[in-house]
Amino acid sequence: MPRDDITRDKNEGGGAIVFSSNEMRLNFREWLIAFGVLAVLIYLLGFIRVRVEEFEVGKDYRLAYKLSEDYWLFKRYCESVCAEGKSLVIGDSVVWGQYVEKGQTLSHYLNELSGEQRFANMGVDGLHPVAMFGLLKYYGGDISGRDVLIHFNLLWLSSSKYDLQTEKEFSFNHPKLVPQLVPEIASYKAGLSSRIGIIVERNLPFLGWVKHVNLVCFADEERGVTDFCGWVMAHPYGNPFGDIAGKLQSLSENRPVRKREERARGERKYDLPWVDLERSVQWRYFKRSVELLRQRGNRVFVVVGPFNEHILEEESLERYNEIKVGIENWLVENRVDCYIPLPLAEGYYADASHPVGEGYALLAEQILEDGLWSDSEGN
Amino acid sequence: MSVVNSLALLGFFKYGGFVVENVNQVLSSVGMSIRFAEPDIFLPVGLSFYIFKSIGYVADCYRGEVERERNFIRHAVFVSFFPILLAGPIERAKNLLGQLRQPGRISAQDAAEGFSLFVVGLFKKLALADMLAVYVSKIYGEPGEYQSAALVLATFAFGWQLYFDFSGYTDMARGLGRMMGFRIMLNFNNPYLADGLGDFWNRWHISLSSWFRDYLYIPLGGNRRGRFNTYRNVFITMLLMGLWHGAAWTFVIWGGIHALGRCLTRDLESSSFYKEKVPKFVKQLSVFLFVTFAWIFFRAESLSDASVIISGIFSGGLTGAGFPLLFVAMIFLVWLYQFIYESRFRRLLEFSFVRIFSFVFMILYLVIFVSSVGESFIYFEF
Repeated sequence: MPRDDITRDKNEGGGAIVFSSNEMRLNFREWLIAFGVLAVLIYLLGFIRVRVEEFEVGKDYRLAYKLSEDYWLFKRYCESVCAEGKSLVIGDSVVWGQYVEKGQTLSHYLNELSGEQRFANMGVDGLHPVAMFGLLKYYGGDISGRDVLIHFNLLWLSSSKYDLQTEKEFSFNHPKLVPQLVPEIASYKAGLSSRIGIIVERNLPFLGWVKHVNLVCFADEERGVTDFCGWVMAHPYGNPFGDIAGKLQSLSENRPVRKREERARGERKYDLPWVDLERSVQWRYFKRSVELLRQRGNRVFVVVGPFNEHILEEESLERYNEIKVGIENWLVENRVDCYIPLPLAEGYYADASHPVGEGYALLAEQILEDGLWSDSEGN
Repeated sequence: MSVVNSLALLGFFKYGGFVVENVNQVLSSVGMSIRFAEPDIFLPVGLSFYIFKSIGYVADCYRGEVERERNFIRHAVFVSFFPILLAGPIERAKNLLGQLRQPGRISAQDAAEGFSLFVVGLFKKLALADMLAVYVSKIYGEPGEYQSAALVLATFAFGWQLYFDFSGYTDMARGLGRMMGFRIMLNFNNPYLADGLGDFWNRWHISLSSWFRDYLYIPLGGNRRGRFNTYRNVFITMLLMGLWHGAAWTFVIWGGIHALGRCLTRDLESSSFYKEKVPKFVKQLSVFLFVTFAWIFFRAESLSDASVIISGIFSGGLTGAGFPLLFVAMIFLVWLYQFIYESRFRRLLEFSFVRIFSFVFMILYLVIFVSSVGESFIYFEF
């Protein structure tokens, strides 16, 4: 039987039911105090972290590949870039530079050719347009009154799967950025509790910071470690809180450059099952991203493509061109400045949509020569 | 009739496969080629818990200790009260049914204290049990690959993992109940501070041990009919308690070890020498070591695994342990808290700022360091 000396439930008047075998209980007033203390500590932790953690946005900076899902850091990067008055180049891994070093990306060549350091690489790996809208909506609030070059990768329309139209669930990038409740995304099948958790995370910046700390300090792909517990197991005698300050900076370019894919050569042709532009989920959200950026007072310039047309079969190429025309028509009708690059030569592609370094240089040259970008700045 | 009915359900779902498997082994060992098909049955979740709750209710009604419940819905709520459905505590009709008959108003104090219990349980489960589980699973998954130090540490870790896991679940269940205005019985009372095996069973899984005491041990005669009958009753009770945890010989042996330990120490524990001369810390340490040794059979996948672990423990070898210092620190903090709680310095823990700081620490730790993907509760298997 429970011993007599353990805490009795006071409501029972010292009666039958034992509350607990410890003193861990708070009354209503104490909980209010505890939540107050928590709120202060949470504020202080975020405040201290920003000041302790080195975050230098140097020349050709891009978010560390490993931190592609660190939206708290993206927000911090946005704040930094916008405070410097830079123009932003937003997009997926094509903008980030999947197959190239950071000194060979689109933003690098735009800076080089324009003769000033004014373009910031805001590319995020796997950022499909639905996710891009979420990223801009929830984490890109600082982007206002800026020049924004936004890239649209036609690869996202190359199948109903990439367009998130299939009912069958599949694992796509950035599920935390897609709409959680309404409108429904057909391919997204997360449970209600996960969706609610994501909504809460979006609205509590502290939770984004927690994710950031876990990614920066504890995740280690090589060891298959994804969280704090894994880190502790991998470093049983290590100090989990050591060198927090320097870790972010050391991550920024810790990734080998991917090799060019064989299929980029165009020897084998593909019949890609393009989706209808009118029914495309990705295109719908890209348009919303453009509208959102314009509502926030940004000057928006859209770059559509490039896409490795050399790998497409004839019929597929025709569908692709129709889609491209449809996109251009909408952009023109809505007076969105845009540039649709001329097809690059086969050797300028690393795969279906990513250029190699020379491809980026050529693309940057075309964009600047086109003149619309300069016009959009009102120069 | 009702008890037989309940036990038949439990026997069919939980022990059907175990019985057939053992009958087949016996038949095969005597050279008979007959083999019964092993039933492929899913075990309904929480079966052992609500069957025992039902049997307890029937026995209490039979003894006249509880008024028969004529409202079917209320009875169904008593048996399937959701916070305690899956892993207990095995509530008594006297307590829960009485509250269901006269539900009180939910006060702010109920909500605040229920939430306190829930947070403590969540911390035990996610921050302590699930962390230790990673280490234990690694070592116990391949016991032949590790040396003495790793096996010893994994065994100690499992003892604490099981405590944090099960008592954490219980705290959360009790907290939920409290937030709804119901007071559910205590199930764990700092068991690793027990200074005797009898004391341990008064502190560990109290709802189960007291159930066996009230509905099996005492009806068998308890300790009133001489030493032999007392020991027999202890063995029957502990073996069945072991079997209650699962249909495997490892659980039966685990129960047998506890029965043996209880019989061997029963007289010693009641002696004035043990009570007065042996330092309390030595008694606590001895009980902890004994209980931890017995957990090997509780955790091992099979008897052969258990023998590999025991032989490994005594084979020596210190390499490959890699037991995180953080785990040592966390376990030590919990032990220290419980030690102070049961000492004359207990008032230190009653200070408001100590309690508030503890909760703030637990919530911050859970939010920052605990992954959202956790292990399932160990006692869901039973």
